Amino acid sequence: MLDAERISYGYSDEETIVRDVSLSATEGEVLGLIGPSGTGKTTLLRLLALFDPPDDGTVYVDGTDAWSLSKEKRTRTRRRIGMVFQDRSLFSTSVAHNAAYGLAVRRSWTERATDWLSGLVGGPDLAAPVEDALETVGLAEMADRPAASLSAGEAQRVAFARALATEPDVLLLDEPTSNLDPRNTAVIEEAVAAARDRGIGVVIATHDMQQAERIADSVAVLLDGTVIEQGPADELFESPSDDRARAFIDGELVY
Amino acid sequence: MTTVPLLSPVFTPIPLQLSDFSVDYLVSIIAVTLQVSLTAVALATVAGVALAVVVGFTDFPGKRLVEAVINTGMGFPSVVVGLVVLIMLSNTGPLGEFDLLFSPGAMIISQFILALPVVASVSLSAIESVDESLADAAFAAGGTGRDVQVAVLREARYGITTAILAGFGRAISEVGSVLIVGGNIALNTPTGERVSFTRTLTTAITLEARKGEIETGIVLGVVLVALALTVNALGNALRARGEH
Repeated sequence: MLDAERISYGYSDEETIVRDVSLSATEGEVLGLIGPSGTGKTTLLRLLALFDPPDDGTVYVDGTDAWSLSKEKRTRTRRRIGMVFQDRSLFSTSVAHNAAYGLAVRRSWTERATDWLSGLVGGPDLAAPVEDALETVGLAEMADRPAASLSAGEAQRVAFARALATEPDVLLLDEPTSNLDPRNTAVIEEAVAAARDRGIGVVIATHDMQQAERIADSVAVLLDGTVIEQGPADELFESPSDDRARAFIDGELVY
Repeated sequence: MTTVPLLSPVFTPIPLQLSDFSVDYLVSIIAVTLQVSLTAVALATVAGVALAVVVGFTDFPGKRLVEAVINTGMGFPSVVVGLVVLIMLSNTGPLGEFDLLFSPGAMIISQFILALPVVASVSLSAIESVDESLADAAFAAGGTGRDVQVAVLREARYGITTAILAGFGRAISEVGSVLIVGGNIALNTPTGERVSFTRTLTTAITLEARKGEIETGIVLGVVLVALALTVNALGNALRARGEH
């Protein structure tokens, strides 16, 4: 559904962060993007999320070059893609407001004004997808809490719910558990599995080899901005053909 | 001479000797003060936040210079602003035809000019200090450019409230420009009562102190401080309410 074809990107002419990368997010599959920190995983995910156009190559959504679309059409395309970031990224409002944000921006300004007014007088309950998403990450009972009062793990689960509530076709996760304790990590991993079972294509960047083994169906090894090996997770972990990929998987080539 | 009794629960009422001073007169001074400062700050809020949004959300050549001008404006001497407004509004000035000099309108203009850089500068730094990750989050959640701006503004809301309060503080405590362009005028009614036309609490204090009426000056000063505190307390209550 979301395909990158030979994309490259650099913030300046001298420095290329992502080089000639091709990969695909496939319905109902988890693609693990593994590699040491600072190797271009975040930049690659931002290209897939259509933050910026690649310098070279093409990002296709359902076979259409996303950057050939008009801004409005690209916004509509972007709305089929959800993203969770590595760092805390919640608004200083309630948990419910955060989780519902993606749905809110999809409504017209008149509808939003009406929502806001009805919110002032007690308002209706949460929209079903929001309720559902909070349920998935186990935080439904915290809907009224201020987001600022959450622990890092809870905040990340809300960020996950915010992406999930929009019912995207693709979820891009940028090291979503790198700052979390094992319990919160487990909740996120279960939520990833639940998303996959619903047919969502997931791309998860991680430097945690065990995590990739646990949840990824296929794996791409990223080193210095380029994919050095790609394939089904079990095969790749069993017998990587690239020496550097083997070194990374064996834990020799870290950071 | 009119006597205003100042009641105290502990001490016996102290009859303050306030020169030539009635409660109605005091109320008219407060009314002029609030009318001028609140109007000026309301206008400065609209213009200042808009300016902060434009500068904060766009990149253009000379942006640094604009920011420097705004920041310098925060410390601009109010008498100089008064002088410039006086020149503009005087009969021979470019805006002379509007006949605003020595009226509350002129005072609103000068306080607007004084409060604008305060509101704009503090709002701008509030907007710029919102973490970029939140703008990214709004975008990734499907927000348009406009949605991202709204989200950032909402994150900056405490800072913007502070900006408005700071602008109000600058306006209501200011003497130099309102003295020059307002003229510190009180009118006599047919019944012999005095009523403020362009006399604010600050300019009234200046006048009373110069006349040696220190007690009257102190009463006016207390009222002025109480007004400033009340507005700040209201602003802070508003901020606390929005904190979730």
